[in-house]
Amino acid sequence: MSVAAVTVASARREAWRLRLRGARDFGRRFLRRRDGVIGLAILVAFAVIAFAPEAFVGPLQTATTATGLPLDPPTGAHLMGTDELGRDMLNLTVHGARISMTIGFLATIITILFGAAIGILAGYLGGTVDGMLMRLTDFFLVLPTFVLAIILAPIILELIGTDAEILGIKATLIVIVIVIGITSWATTARIIRSQVLSVKERMFVDRARVIGTGSGRIMRRHIFPNVVNLIVAQTVLTFATAVFTETTLSFIGLGDPFQPSWGEILNSAQATGAPGLGAWWYILPPALCVVLVVLAFTLVGNALDDILNPKSSQRR
Amino acid sequence: MGSRYLGRKLGQAVLTILAIVVLNFLLFRAMPGSPERLLRNPHMSSEQLAAIRERWGLDRPLIPDQLVDYLTATARGDLGVSIKFQNRPVFDVISDFLPPTVLLIGLGELVSIIVGLTIGAYAGWRRGGIVDKVGTGASLILYSMPYFVIGMPLIIIFAAELHWFPTSGMSSVGISRESLPEQVFDIGRHLVLPLTTVALGLIGSYSIIMRSAILETRSEDYMTTARAKGISDSRQLRSHAFPNALLPMVTIIAINLGYVVAGAITAEIVFNWPGLGTLTVTALQERDYPVLQGLFLLLSIAVVMANLIADLLYGFLDPRVRT
Repeated sequence: MSVAAVTVASARREAWRLRLRGARDFGRRFLRRRDGVIGLAILVAFAVIAFAPEAFVGPLQTATTATGLPLDPPTGAHLMGTDELGRDMLNLTVHGARISMTIGFLATIITILFGAAIGILAGYLGGTVDGMLMRLTDFFLVLPTFVLAIILAPIILELIGTDAEILGIKATLIVIVIVIGITSWATTARIIRSQVLSVKERMFVDRARVIGTGSGRIMRRHIFPNVVNLIVAQTVLTFATAVFTETTLSFIGLGDPFQPSWGEILNSAQATGAPGLGAWWYILPPALCVVLVVLAFTLVGNALDDILNPKSSQRR
Repeated sequence: MGSRYLGRKLGQAVLTILAIVVLNFLLFRAMPGSPERLLRNPHMSSEQLAAIRERWGLDRPLIPDQLVDYLTATARGDLGVSIKFQNRPVFDVISDFLPPTVLLIGLGELVSIIVGLTIGAYAGWRRGGIVDKVGTGASLILYSMPYFVIGMPLIIIFAAELHWFPTSGMSSVGISRESLPEQVFDIGRHLVLPLTTVALGLIGSYSIIMRSAILETRSEDYMTTARAKGISDSRQLRSHAFPNALLPMVTIIAINLGYVVAGAITAEIVFNWPGLGTLTVTALQERDYPVLQGLFLLLSIAVVMANLIADLLYGFLDPRVRT
C-alpha cells in the first residue's frame, strides 16, 4: 500500500471515530433533557398504535359494523363510550392515530424537502436567485395559509383525480397533505437559508471551490452535512404543525368521513352537537390525542433544536 | 423617520397585494365550476355558449384583457356575486359578517397581549421560579391546542353542565326588542366563552415568545449597567428589560394575525358565532367560490397591512433598522 492510501484510510477511520463520538455525545445530551425524553416516550407509544391499530382494537368500525348504542356514555363494553352511530370511541380514536400521523408524516416530508432545497439554493447561490427565491418565500409567509388551503383543496382534488391513493391514504386526504406542504415550506426555507449563509463563509467551502469542486457537489457534500442538524430539528417541529393543521382542516370539513382522523372525529362531534349535549366522551379522546402528539413533537423538537442548532444553544 | 425606509416598505406592501390579486385571478380560472368549466357542458347550444362567453368577457384573451378587467373590478370593490346568498354582491356579504369577527379577534388580542406578555415577562425574569414552571408548562399545552379543542370543553363545562353561558350564537332570540343596555349585556354574555377560547389560544404563544425575549435581554450590557447602578429588581424589569423585549413582539403579533384569523375561524364554528369563520365554512359547504375568494383577498390584505404597520412601528421604535 502506498503512503497516500494509508493516509486516506486512517483519515477515514478517524472520521468514523469522530462521528461515533458525536452520536454518543448527542445521545447523552438528549437523555439529560427530561422534557425531550418524555416527548419521545409519548411519540413512541403513538407510533406503535399508528403502526398496527387492528392489533389493539380490531378493524375500523363503520355505521354497519357499529357495536354499541348511539351516543352512549362510557361503560364496561365501551370504555370511551360511543358516537352518534354507535361506533366505539376507543376504536375510532386508535384508528384516527394512524390517519392523523400518516398525513402529518407525508406533509412534513414535502414541507422539509421543499423548504430545505430552496433554503440551500438561495443561501448558497446568493445574488439574483437568492433575491427572487426570498421574495417568493416572503410572499408565502404573509399569505393566510388557512383560507388559501380551503381554496386550493378543490383545485388539487381536480388535478390529481378522486381515485388517487398513497400509502392507503385516499385523494381527499392527499389534498390535505399537498395543501399543508404548499403553505408551510416558507418558514423552513428561511431558517435553513440563514444557516447556509454562515456555513458558506467557512474555510472548507473556499478550499473546495479553489480545487474546482462544482456548486452542486459543494451544496451536497459540504453545505448539506453542516445544516442537516438544523433540518432534523426543523422536521420534528414541522411534524407538530402538520398534525395541528391537519386537525384544523379536517375539523372545518376537508377531511374524509371514511378515513376519520382525529380532526374528522371532532368534526362529526361538532356536527352532532356533542358539546351542547354534554357528550364529553365524544370529544375528550381525540382532543387529548391531538394535544399529546403536538405537545410531544414540540418538546422533542425544542430539545433537539437546543442541542443541534448552534444558534439557539449559544443563547443559553 | 427616513422617507426611503417608508417608501421601500410601502412599495413592498403594494407589490405583495398586487401579487395576491393576480394569484386570486389565476385561482379563479382554475376553480371547478368557474365560467370556463361551465362552457364544457355538452347540453348547451353554441349560441348559449357564445352569449355566456361575451357576458363574462371570455371571448377576449386571458392576459392582458381579462386580467385588467379583473384588476379594475377588484380595485372598485367589485368582487363578484355570491352563489349562496341570492346573488348578493360578495362585498356586501363579507361586510355583514365582518363586525362580529373584528369584535372577537380585537378583544381576544387585547386580553391575550396583556395577560400573555405579563406571564411571559415574569416567567423569563424569574427563570425556574413558580410562575415560570406553571406558566410556561400551561403555555406549552395551550400552544398545542387548536382553538376548537379549547372551546369544546368550555361549552361542555360552562354551558351544558353549569348553564352559566349560552352554548352558541351572538344574541338571544327577540333581544332586538329590548333596550340597548339589555342588548349589550346579552352580546357580552354570548361573547364570554368564544373570547376566552381565542384569548387562551393566543396567551400560550405570546407568553412563550415574551419569555425568551426577556431571557435575551438579561445578557445585554445595559442590564448589567442597570444592576450596577443599584436600581430595584422590579424597576430593572419594568423600565429596562420589558421595553426592549417588546420590540420583537411587535413583529410577531403582526405576523401572527394570519394564524389568529385561522384560529378564530374554528372558534367561531364551535360557538356558531356569526362572523367570517362561520361564513367561510358556509361558503366551503355550498361551494360558494366567489365568497371564498373575497375572504382570501380581504384576509391577505389585512395581514399585509398588519405587517406594514409593524414594520413602520418597528422603525419608529428602533432607529437602527431604518436603513
